[in-house]
Amino acid sequence: MSAPVLTEQTVPPVAPAAVRRSWYSYLRQPSAALSVLVLLVMVVMAVFAPLIADEPVGAGADVLQSPSGAHWFGTDDLGQDIFAQVVWGTRTSLVIGLAASVIAIVLGTAIGLASAYFRPIDAVATVITDVMLALPTLPLMIMLAAVVNPSVWTLTMIIGFFAWPEVARLIRSQGLVVSAMPYIDGARVLGATGWRIVTREILPAVVSLVIVSVLLTASRAVISEAGLSFLGLGDPDAWSWGRILLNAQRSGVIAIAWWQTLFPSLAILLLVLSATVAGMRFNDTRDPRRNGG
Amino acid sequence: MKKTVKGRWRLAVALGVVAALGVSGCGLNEDNASSNTSTDGSVLRIGTTTDVSNFNPLQSLSKTDSWILNAMYPHLLRIDENAKKAPELAKEYRYEDDGKTAVFVLRDDFKWTDGKPVVADDVKFSAEMIMKYKLGNVAAKLTWVESIEAPDATTVKFKLSQPYAPFAEGVGFWMSIVPKHVFEPAGDLSKFPNDTNWVGAGPFVLDSMTKGQRYVMKRNESYPLAPGGKAAVSKVEYRVYPDVNTMMLALRNGDIDLMGTPVPVSAAKTFEGDSKIKMAKVGALGFAHLTYNMKNKHLADQEVRQALSMSVDTKSIISAVLQGDAQEMAGPISPIFSDYDNTEVKPYAFDPAGAKAKLTAAGYKDANNDGFFDELAFGVACDQSNANMTRVVQLFRESAAKAGIKLENECVERNTFLARTKSGEYDIDASQWGVFDNPMDQLRSTYLSSNPGGINYNLLKSTEIDKLINEAAGTTDPEAFKTKIKNLDKVVHDQAYLTPLYVENFRFAYNGSKFTGFAPSPSDLLGMVTAYSLAQVTPVK
Repeated sequence: MSAPVLTEQTVPPVAPAAVRRSWYSYLRQPSAALSVLVLLVMVVMAVFAPLIADEPVGAGADVLQSPSGAHWFGTDDLGQDIFAQVVWGTRTSLVIGLAASVIAIVLGTAIGLASAYFRPIDAVATVITDVMLALPTLPLMIMLAAVVNPSVWTLTMIIGFFAWPEVARLIRSQGLVVSAMPYIDGARVLGATGWRIVTREILPAVVSLVIVSVLLTASRAVISEAGLSFLGLGDPDAWSWGRILLNAQRSGVIAIAWWQTLFPSLAILLLVLSATVAGMRFNDTRDPRRNGG
Repeated sequence: MKKTVKGRWRLAVALGVVAALGVSGCGLNEDNASSNTSTDGSVLRIGTTTDVSNFNPLQSLSKTDSWILNAMYPHLLRIDENAKKAPELAKEYRYEDDGKTAVFVLRDDFKWTDGKPVVADDVKFSAEMIMKYKLGNVAAKLTWVESIEAPDATTVKFKLSQPYAPFAEGVGFWMSIVPKHVFEPAGDLSKFPNDTNWVGAGPFVLDSMTKGQRYVMKRNESYPLAPGGKAAVSKVEYRVYPDVNTMMLALRNGDIDLMGTPVPVSAAKTFEGDSKIKMAKVGALGFAHLTYNMKNKHLADQEVRQALSMSVDTKSIISAVLQGDAQEMAGPISPIFSDYDNTEVKPYAFDPAGAKAKLTAAGYKDANNDGFFDELAFGVACDQSNANMTRVVQLFRESAAKAGIKLENECVERNTFLARTKSGEYDIDASQWGVFDNPMDQLRSTYLSSNPGGINYNLLKSTEIDKLINEAAGTTDPEAFKTKIKNLDKVVHDQAYLTPLYVENFRFAYNGSKFTGFAPSPSDLLGMVTAYSLAQVTPVK
């Protein structure tokens, strides 16, 4: 995979024409276009789930049917359609993925920028970030999720809370580079406040990194959500991909109903893969220093 | 200097090679060993989902604990395939002194694996220790015992403070008999781990174990209930498979010969077309139920409980979740106790519209017109790892919505669920009773205000019910006793303290090409792995 060569890139103020050009060159890469397309399809599925398939309820007569014209992804041991479950599961997975990553991004960016610009904060924030990074996240998430009442809302909070340190670290390192640049000194000399420098001068310079982090964190959050739901710590009232897998495992049909595990797993794979690829390509496009480096 | 360093290197390399060879050698040995055991037809390998957590048979036990320990320590009575009590260590039992003395007559041919005979003193010792240290659920069953006598080696007399009809049945079935000469020197039995040098009198006794992997039991060379005076199988090996899918594959691949845990109904197809695998079906001694917390202001209202009972579609739950392989119930007494089940009591018919009308008539309002009664919102707690119950709650929530009752699915991780059940933090408890060996003990432990069994999940405190139960418990005449239980069945049903869901059947899968002769008993706790059943198993020649 050869990285695209960019003709121009300015840090930080980006001219509108350059923005258009970089979006264009971003989408011209087949891998980026394809993964953005997959993400768009997923979003459409989530938003229009009620139009695509009825919410899986009740019990049907066709129990454990393999995939067919009537049931594209087959049925489970209650006779519910797996396709409908996957479509409705997209909602939960995307909502949790996005919301958790927004929480992580807001926390991470704030902490990252603060420690990049304000030296005294840096010492404390770095230690906290390091401690958070060193914590065994999965067991902690499992413990927390077992203690609180499982719902989409609590899962989002838990996953978001454990995902910010990576973002903070990323933003801080980029912020350190930017805050050492001459134009920041210029701003300071002109009498700009710390708040203004951070929000108006440094933040725009790291915003592309933030976008990349949103995608990467969201894909990690989707995996965390599926994992917690699979362990029975998910929202029992909301369909999610992890819950479909849990149903298959719990009712002991993994060996005979491959469709009940294959399709939700494929959905997870597709979402995570395309979010990751889209994020990586975006990063390559926006940050010329990474090219060939 | 240089030379020594080089020498050390050589030594290190040589040691490394030796170590590697040693490890691989061990690996080979182990492979040989396990392939030997799998071809030796007289080792019965049984799959289980959990480790043994407690080796003391007098204490409360998990499923795997009781499987392994019940094969080691005899009980006075056992439950046969028809859910009736059958003799085990006791040949017979009778009441004397107007029901105030229960007398067990023991067999004289049971032997501990260290050669000593099992005698009446062992029974007396076991019961006295349980009473002294309040061990397990048997302690509650010994409440009325004033003294225990062992006049000779085969007679045990329990003197009771009052007649209690099912005393002998309850104690006979639940109480493990332990060897006095081994347990007495241990001192405080509530702290005795009993995790090594086991001495038992069942058909098998634990020999060795590897936590997380296997528990190997060797044959007791003298077990009178086995056809040849000892079990035909020379070893029983329990293997731990935490996931039921893996366990089913292990059975299909020939790694185990019997699944101790039942095959989920949805997975029964797994073994279709496999001529080696046979299925045995047994009934249940418990049942699945929705139990209403009487501490909740609205659930304390009989009309609400009845309306909830009318909004559970038990018929479709049975046909969908259990594939039709279960029985409907009306009152709290399971149809398996045919003598006590009040057949005049009929289940509440599924009628959400009727339930809605009933609640409206009772004064409940839907002021904000959202389709739900404003005050009626309840959480339904269940154990997330129980596949059937999670499905039931899902369906219950949907059908109750039609009756205008908003339910929230609170199926949580197992330990959280158990903790909440214990502390009464639930509105509706959706769970499964495991084993009730007789209806009187069941009614006492589930409805008495004093909550002797700790499973009064209604948190019910009703002087009327207490009176009915205590009256029945003191009744010695069998016919009058039956009538009183039947009456209680009706009263509890009218009050709708619980909505019984179903009595399910359990299917056990075993390798029929290698072993035969199992004598299964009802329930998933007993199933194929009772001491009696394991003693009857013979390898297929």
